[in-house]
Amino acid sequence: MKTINKDKIVALLKKYVIFFVLIGLMILFSILTPYFLTVQNITNIFVQQSYVIIAAVGLAFVMIGGGMDLSIGWQMSLVGVVTATLMKNVGLPVPVAVLIGCMLGVVLGLFNGFMAITLKVHPLIVTLGTLTAYQGLSYIAANQSVILNLPPSFKYLGQGYVLGFIPVGVILMLIVVGTGSFILNKTYFGRYVYANGSNEEAAHLAGIDVRKTRLMIFALCGFFVALASMVLFARTGSAAPSTGPGTEFTCMTAAVLGGVSFKGGEGKMWGVVTGVLILGILSNGMQLIGMGTYAQFIVRGGVLLAAVGFDTYQKASAAKVKKMV
Amino acid sequence: MREIVLATRNITKRYPGVVALNRFSIDFHKGEVHALLGENGAGKSTLIKIIAGAVQADDGTIEINGKSFRKLDPLHAKNNGIEVIYQEFNLVNSLSVAENICLGERHGKFVDPAWMAKKASDVFARMGVDIDPHALISELPTSRQQLVEIAKAVSKDAKILIMDEPSAPLSVSEVDKLFQIIKTLKESGVTVIYISHRMDEIFEISDRVTVMRDGLYVDTLETAKTDRKSLIQRMVGREISDTYPAKRCDIGEVVLEINGLTGNGDADVSFRLHRGEILGLAGLIGAGRTELARMIYGADKSESGEIIVKGQRVKIHLPSDAIRHGIGLIPEDRKQQGCFLEKPIAWNATIANLRKISRGILLDRKREKEQAEHYVGLFSIKTPSIQQLVKNLSGGNQQKVVLAKTLATNSDILIFDEPTRGIDVGAKQEIYELMVKLSSEGKAILMITSDMAELLGMSDRIIVLSGGRLTGELKKEEFSQVRVLELASNLR
Repeated sequence: MKTINKDKIVALLKKYVIFFVLIGLMILFSILTPYFLTVQNITNIFVQQSYVIIAAVGLAFVMIGGGMDLSIGWQMSLVGVVTATLMKNVGLPVPVAVLIGCMLGVVLGLFNGFMAITLKVHPLIVTLGTLTAYQGLSYIAANQSVILNLPPSFKYLGQGYVLGFIPVGVILMLIVVGTGSFILNKTYFGRYVYANGSNEEAAHLAGIDVRKTRLMIFALCGFFVALASMVLFARTGSAAPSTGPGTEFTCMTAAVLGGVSFKGGEGKMWGVVTGVLILGILSNGMQLIGMGTYAQFIVRGGVLLAAVGFDTYQKASAAKVKKMV
Repeated sequence: MREIVLATRNITKRYPGVVALNRFSIDFHKGEVHALLGENGAGKSTLIKIIAGAVQADDGTIEINGKSFRKLDPLHAKNNGIEVIYQEFNLVNSLSVAENICLGERHGKFVDPAWMAKKASDVFARMGVDIDPHALISELPTSRQQLVEIAKAVSKDAKILIMDEPSAPLSVSEVDKLFQIIKTLKESGVTVIYISHRMDEIFEISDRVTVMRDGLYVDTLETAKTDRKSLIQRMVGREISDTYPAKRCDIGEVVLEINGLTGNGDADVSFRLHRGEILGLAGLIGAGRTELARMIYGADKSESGEIIVKGQRVKIHLPSDAIRHGIGLIPEDRKQQGCFLEKPIAWNATIANLRKISRGILLDRKREKEQAEHYVGLFSIKTPSIQQLVKNLSGGNQQKVVLAKTLATNSDILIFDEPTRGIDVGAKQEIYELMVKLSSEGKAILMITSDMAELLGMSDRIIVLSGGRLTGELKKEEFSQVRVLELASNLR
């Protein structure tokens, strides 16, 4: 009986600990600076983080499915540059260019998945390779220049407001999180994603086509990453190949913070969102209280290590309890 | 009387649910080749692990050159001249032959390649083999890697060399080579403990042979003064005391026909499985039984041969194909292959037929719950709720969850691979009853098992694999442990 109670408490703690961290951070920064808890600032945080959350949803699918994608930053760069080129240099209508950009994202994702399957190598290694290739492609597509003055109807995706006060990027973000959560929790495909990450051999023997599932996961990730790219480039208003890279590590950090297991099979959408928000609030708050960028990096790193350490500690103590029984 | 270099006295080792060694005493003489013989699970591996210090005995002592030890650790065993060559090699693939042989040794302050190469070639000269000390392990074929393993042990001045199935990766001519090396070692006073399933090897190389059964010492015989038959009799001399549930129903038409299935280490396997039948698939470890099951199920690829399900030739490339044709597999390794330990019972019990019980792409929680509860009730799975994580269940209940998952796909041809491995006695009985019930309902069961009592008690008919080939078939009235073992050790 006692162990069940302890298990439950541990489970609850584990489930909500990052919520407490998020709320704790908000309280901390509200005390430290009057500029933090304002409608303007909170809106800013959401606008700034919306593209990260969208990409993190994609990465979460890959990670829960037992994979990894290091290439999403350069995927965003390549998709953004190609979309901008199509709009500005080729002269395609904005919706068509955006659509082609999203399809390109799917293709890039599929390529990652395809390589992982055919080479039978962990996606971490595969995407280490493709990230470099995508980087090269992005610079070539941009022809070493920055495309300025993207069309206003495109910029609307990142800078516009619905009903005058809800940022379009945030709405897109909410749609993506909702869709991701729906696929993961309500469809059999979502169950397959967990199965793949939890025990690939058992999934294979249960009749799940693990290769097809992996491909679909990567395609989905590529699509979400392309959407993230649209929001980011629309907010920036111009397209340079250096926009996007780095997002992969922010997303990975957020996912791990949010309880997505590195080994796969575990993770929730709301956890990922909370993870991104923690990182966003940290950097926003620290900026407001005047801490330098470099100090921020140290704190971010510390938070990740603390979260992972906490997780390991929980698992170790849970295992101990089991042994004692 | 010859000098005793190693002895165990009343060694006992218990694992949960099984006594692996029971007051086991044995003597090994200086300069002899001593074979250990016994069925799967007789306790051979446990014995060598205890001698090597890899596991500790619960009770009893080990004597090395007259010194008595309660507990040995690996370093201790090595310092006393005991070296083991396990079935899985302990070589570093990315290092050279010489570096592997000298691993863990120091000569001077820095790495000394010349010294290492010399040491390696000295050992090879002693053994009479020719291997380039500078070659990388990864470049060598398995058989040569085996020789490097032996050289490594010899270079450590092993007084007692334990070899666990050393001939398994070797071809016939390489086995001859191995035997020559063993003879050389023997002449220089090394004691070789030789474990093999292959009876004729034991007759060829060993001086004495000790038969083990169920963790008990049976007998030690001079190899020259015994024969195959009396060894097998000693291996099986056990009464089958377990009771098996009675059958039930008539055996019906052929539902599964395998013709000339080849691949995955098996060659030209053909057999038929009937409705309502439990067909036992026997063989020693490594005979290719699991490999055969995985081919039929589409988990591994076959090279040629045909699979006929209910009169129709079918193509099975993936497990989903097998499931579609009504074939289900309860895999050998419950935890790694059978279930998702970190997920709830309901999740596990529905994963194989999830698409069928979903509404379009949407999960149907109600039907999932109904199905899970149905099987929890049907199999009396002991759990507080269907949301319990499978890792928290006992082995027997985990196996029932795997069974539920498989049956939910409506399979009527079931392949059980080691259905009761690692399960306690009470739960075993329940699994047996379930299997008999299923066969009485008209399911056809192919049962792979290394448990002789289970094989003879549960099967309606037995087929035996040896070295990837079918070596015989036994009808119920022909069942005997001796016959099964004879067929299973048929090769070479």
